[in-house]
Amino acid sequence: MNIQKKRTLSWVDIILTLASLEVMAYFYYGVRTLIMAGLCMAVSFVCDWIAVWFMKKKYVPDDLMSLADGLAIALMMPASIDFRIPMISCAFAVLVGKNLFGGRKNIIFSPCAVGYLFALTSWGNKILMYPSPDKKLEISAENAVLSHSLSYDFNNAGNISISDFDLLIGNFRGAMGTVSILLLIVSAFVLLFRKAVSAGAFTGVIAGMVFMAFIVPVSESRSESLKYIMATNMFLFSSVYIVSDKRVAPLNNYYAFFYGLFTAVTAYIIILTTAKENMIPAVSVIMTPVALLFKSIQLKADKYASEEKKGEINEKQNY
Amino acid sequence: MKSMKNRITDGLLRDNTVLSAGMIISPAIICTTSFRDSLALVYAFSVITFFADIIAYLIPKKLPYAVRVIWTSAISSLLYVPVRELTMMIYPESVERIGIYFPLIAVNSLIVYQTQHRFLNLDFRELIGNLVFYILGFDIVVLVCGALRELIAYGTVNNKVMNISMTVSGAGLPFGGFIILGIICGIYRKIRSLLSSGED
Amino acid sequence: MFLIVSFLSQLAGNLIFTQALGTSTVFISAKNKRSFMGVAFIICIFTTFGSMGAYFADRLLNGYFENFRLFAYVIITGIIYLSSLFILWCISKRLYGRLKKYIHIASFNCAVMGTLYMISENPENTGISDYLLYGLQSGLGFIIASVFVATAYKRLNCAKVPSSFRGMPAMLVYLGIISMAVWTLK
Repeated sequence: MNIQKKRTLSWVDIILTLASLEVMAYFYYGVRTLIMAGLCMAVSFVCDWIAVWFMKKKYVPDDLMSLADGLAIALMMPASIDFRIPMISCAFAVLVGKNLFGGRKNIIFSPCAVGYLFALTSWGNKILMYPSPDKKLEISAENAVLSHSLSYDFNNAGNISISDFDLLIGNFRGAMGTVSILLLIVSAFVLLFRKAVSAGAFTGVIAGMVFMAFIVPVSESRSESLKYIMATNMFLFSSVYIVSDKRVAPLNNYYAFFYGLFTAVTAYIIILTTAKENMIPAVSVIMTPVALLFKSIQLKADKYASEEKKGEINEKQNY
Repeated sequence: MKSMKNRITDGLLRDNTVLSAGMIISPAIICTTSFRDSLALVYAFSVITFFADIIAYLIPKKLPYAVRVIWTSAISSLLYVPVRELTMMIYPESVERIGIYFPLIAVNSLIVYQTQHRFLNLDFRELIGNLVFYILGFDIVVLVCGALRELIAYGTVNNKVMNISMTVSGAGLPFGGFIILGIICGIYRKIRSLLSSGED
Repeated sequence: MFLIVSFLSQLAGNLIFTQALGTSTVFISAKNKRSFMGVAFIICIFTTFGSMGAYFADRLLNGYFENFRLFAYVIITGIIYLSSLFILWCISKRLYGRLKKYIHIASFNCAVMGTLYMISENPENTGISDYLLYGLQSGLGFIIASVFVATAYKRLNCAKVPSSFRGMPAMLVYLGIISMAVWTLK
């Protein structure tokens, strides 16, 4: 399989795993989630296509990664949110967060993180209130009873009462695609196996969280602290689809590990000190200069290594 | 060779104070959350910059650069006192909202640096012409920014409700100012390049 | 952990990301690594020493003379400006020739003047040590923001960015997105 085909298949893998999360969300909340996902993907596609057209470039299959970004942003929203909010967030993410800097060949920020942060800062109260997964929502979601997420309860109280089974299948309040923990674990393994996400960054995030949960646990018990921190605050979802995004993370797994580690440690400390929920997208944006620095170090190292090799070859030839 | 008219109007289109030269960005980002605040900013900036630059023009050019910069800043900081009193009478709430950025207008880069590098080499009539258009360049950008941000963030323009169904409160925050100004700057550059290619 | 908490608090109260103070100066200084380090460091010196001068100015200005606060700050900054040029000239003429342009850029700008105003506006700052610490923190915050811009400078000015947005517009949006992330910390 040639490299071009490999790259094209990466976004397909990502969309397939996101689609599985979408199916779970549909199971809990009903057809509203499908409409939201469809609208977000459509907006992302149209905005990306328009931006590529403006830049006088050809629209290639790799550009369809914007569909994955749209779907990811939809899955980070409450199921009851006004449709316009995720649509505007997707448009912002694709146009401003991605294409303004030159599109897929010069990605600086994760478009998902940018879209989510835009929604969080502009409509914070609406983004952080969630419906219960017990009831299916109507399309208008007018009568949805909203309350804080499990992450909020955990961050503030340090302890929550929920069975492990409910935790694994995502039967608790939260963003519709970020709560199905078992499915997220499977998705993570699939994407790592398919090399669609950065293994180094993902390992770094997990290592960082485990380390911090053991050193400064949020709950009384270390194992419970680790279990709940992994299940809440969009931790797993962000680790897989934002921090480990190959477009953003350093290519070299060694550097990517430290990038993931710094992100996880910083996010954990913010949760510990301020009890703010869903901080990993914000921290991944703040850590962008770290990722860029690692990438430039890597480029210089590769350039130096190739120059040395050329020099050696020339010496051998002369000899 | 550029005509005198073109050189004078540079400050408005070709070499806009904010969008091209990148000067006085802080007040343009933070203080343009509403059209009314932008008006207060524009009023204070225009009066202080115009008179401070004319007085700075009279400072002996033989003085060292550093001394001239300090003199110019000191003059504009003294001019700031009566201008603030006048602005408080017309836009009292805006002056309170603008806060520390109001006095910062008095030591903006147009007065402190552009005067020394550009305006002092011109004759008096050309100075007045340049000054007016450079000030206008800032004023227009700030007013457009203020109107746009108020519309997007609050659904109003100059406190008049505009029937917008969805508002984005982020546009009224500092990051909204950065992003909107960045986009306006990009659009301005595109228009400028189209105009200059059209002239060619 | 203390370092990370300090870093986060520096970001949350950063001059550039939350107040947009010194944005123009950062763009000028980020053009090359040497000038960015030079300008950022000199601004740090200006904010630190300026804050000490602001302490005495704030004690003296009362009643109607409050209106002349800006004039007082201009004089303080002017004294530091001239002193720094004179000290450099005395130390080494070569060093003076290399660094004077950074001092010219770093002297009268929103970062320095804004810091002096913010110190006096904050009622928690009562003693000279509070003023000094605030001035130093503001200067360090400016250095952090300069680092953020400098690491992305090449990417934001490369040929892949659309020509209309290459350079300053992309930098403004870049700062805006980081500012958006910092805002969530507040």
